[in-house]
Amino acid sequence: MRLIHLKLAARNVRRQPHRTIALGGAVAFSALVMTLILGFVNGMDLAIQDNVTLYSGGHVLISGYTASWSGRLQNRFADDNVAKTVGSTNSDIRTVSPIAQSRATVVFGTREIQLTLRGVDWAKDQLYHDSLILAKGYWKGLENSRTMLMSAQTADRFGLSVGDQVVVRLNTASGQQNVTDYKVAAIYDDGAAGGMNMAFVAFGDLTADLNMKSNEQQQIAVFLKNSTDAEKAAQTITGELSSKGFTVSRGSASNTGSSNAAPSPDSSTNADSFVSSITGTGQDASRHLLPGTTLYYVSTIQELAGEIGSALGSIRWIGYAVFILMLIVSATGISNSYRMVLLERTKEIGMLRCIGYKKKDVFSSFIWEGILLAGGAALVGVVLALPIGFGIGFIPFNPHGDFGAALVQGHLRFAPTLSQLLLILVFVTIVAIAAVFLPARKAAEVVPVEALRKTA
Amino acid sequence: MADVRGMKMRFLNAKLTSKLSIVLFGLVLIFSAKAQGGPPPGGGGGGGPMGGIGLPLNFLQADKDYKFPDDITKYTANDFLMLVRRTDIRSSFYNSDMSATISMVSVSPDRGTFANKQQIFRRDKDDAFLMLMVEPESRKGQGMLRVDNNMWRYDPTSRKFTHTTLKDTYENSTVTNNDFRRWQRSIDYSVEKLSTGTLGNYKVVIGELKANNDEVPFPYLKMYIETDRKIVLKIEEYSLSMKLLRTAYYTQYVQIGDSFVPTVQIFQDGLIPEKRSQVTYTDISTKPLPDYYFTKEYLERVSQ
Repeated sequence: MRLIHLKLAARNVRRQPHRTIALGGAVAFSALVMTLILGFVNGMDLAIQDNVTLYSGGHVLISGYTASWSGRLQNRFADDNVAKTVGSTNSDIRTVSPIAQSRATVVFGTREIQLTLRGVDWAKDQLYHDSLILAKGYWKGLENSRTMLMSAQTADRFGLSVGDQVVVRLNTASGQQNVTDYKVAAIYDDGAAGGMNMAFVAFGDLTADLNMKSNEQQQIAVFLKNSTDAEKAAQTITGELSSKGFTVSRGSASNTGSSNAAPSPDSSTNADSFVSSITGTGQDASRHLLPGTTLYYVSTIQELAGEIGSALGSIRWIGYAVFILMLIVSATGISNSYRMVLLERTKEIGMLRCIGYKKKDVFSSFIWEGILLAGGAALVGVVLALPIGFGIGFIPFNPHGDFGAALVQGHLRFAPTLSQLLLILVFVTIVAIAAVFLPARKAAEVVPVEALRKTA
Repeated sequence: MADVRGMKMRFLNAKLTSKLSIVLFGLVLIFSAKAQGGPPPGGGGGGGPMGGIGLPLNFLQADKDYKFPDDITKYTANDFLMLVRRTDIRSSFYNSDMSATISMVSVSPDRGTFANKQQIFRRDKDDAFLMLMVEPESRKGQGMLRVDNNMWRYDPTSRKFTHTTLKDTYENSTVTNNDFRRWQRSIDYSVEKLSTGTLGNYKVVIGELKANNDEVPFPYLKMYIETDRKIVLKIEEYSLSMKLLRTAYYTQYVQIGDSFVPTVQIFQDGLIPEKRSQVTYTDISTKPLPDYYFTKEYLERVSQ
């Protein structure tokens, strides 16, 4: 590259500002839209993973199902070796904690609401202490027995405040009905937790309500240092548990370590359909397992976030389609403009050739003009998108709406990565080069004498 | 001679083989029963949870020959259990099929009052039933089928079957799916305590029952049974923590053949007393029903 080409290209870009603004504006707008779409989709992706981690209590979940005396699978297991094996598999694990949860009906006066009740070991908890914002009450209050952390939405609906007593009706692990009392010790801002409506109680209290023994648990939640490692960690955990003789299923892979093989669920199967696949739901199916048989199912937040994630995937693809369409329109505009430029500058090109410019110099100056115009415009578009994106992030949305799980504290998160921004710039520039290529080649082919004669 | 001896030996071998076969068959049966779970911990007479394990072999026969005390104060735990068995049998139809129209009115402080009407088809000897929604018009065609220990709901709009259980509540009311099924409390519960009393004008034996296994929805029951007609008048259902969950009142009975059907049943929630439902049976028939009634294909077809 010679500096003269760049200087000439820059002068030509400045020479006709109206055309430059019109062409550059179209390219800049394409880059702006793409930056916004990628930034928001990325932010929603991260928000969903954070919120699903809150919902599920960890990045990888190991659920245990034990066959009862009648051969029915119950969500409970009592084997300390499972937690030990899980804990020893991956160095990137932050915590391994037991989880108990149940669908419960919470009754206050004559009102009732169905919600998920989760048992948390408050002494070991990091996740909820770090993620939930208490609207009323204190974390310390939850250390007392039979206390509950409730969402602001539920509390508002019931007219509840800290200190009120509620009745909780739930099914035990074996399916019997149980009723207990809890005192509301704190209320969390559900808008800041992706619209989550879950209620939390002490792990020991919930396992007692579920009529589980002290050494029993329903799930083991693994909290990793990095959520993106969940799939890898789940595979390692599955392999390790299988090698130690546990019957484990995960995603499309079924790893059977014991003789009581479980049929493998397909890749989209969650824990509930996993149980159905074992026990059978068809008219001809009434399979029963040997009492005491325990099956494990390993899932990740990526699987749990699957449905919402796939919706985001669609948005991402729509974004790509819009971007490509806009680029095609811009590329057509650039190509046509440079055909016109070629006609306008035929005499000038002839003169340049007469004073010693070679074909490749003419070609290079055209290409550089296209790069400067499109690259500069794309850069402007990307830079403009940043304040717009962060500004939109301040607009409050309904955390209980359809996309509540993709919001952070009721707001969209704008999180484009540097590689995405660079990719937009590079892609726009390549398209511009392709659009200018033909007019540039034609310009290089201009015969100097002919050009001067025609335009004389 | 050698032929005769040979024949004798073959005959003896055949006899021995057949005896051995019987012994082996018996052993297979025993081990199969054990493999299926066997009796629950703490007894239970081989009966199972509400999930629908078959009736004990002498369930119907033992009832016929049983002599109850004339004086209600003389009732023992075994007498009361047999009384519960009598009510189980008499409220069910083991010798015929049953069909009826069910009208249900539910009152809830949250949701107000709502009414619906269903048609029910029962085959108690197989513990199977089919229920079809008739009213309201918007819900017409929805159905529920129980057969072979499995239970489904069918929605004609989505044309999908979803798995449900006997423990689930029906239409967010105080009625559970289990209330539409045959009664079998004498299998699932054992008697803990007995007393006598009156309920309105009726003298009743009050039995406090505890579940034989941990898979029945209500761990404790209190049954009020009128001894003259041998019918259940009231049942209180308690949680594991002994809190009252629901009270069922059986206020009217109709005799059909040997059966006494509770045609008016009222279910009151124990935690929210204002929440209650009334279930009324009309047009009861014991005509035989075709086998295909108790299939998913029929439910799908009839719901169109």
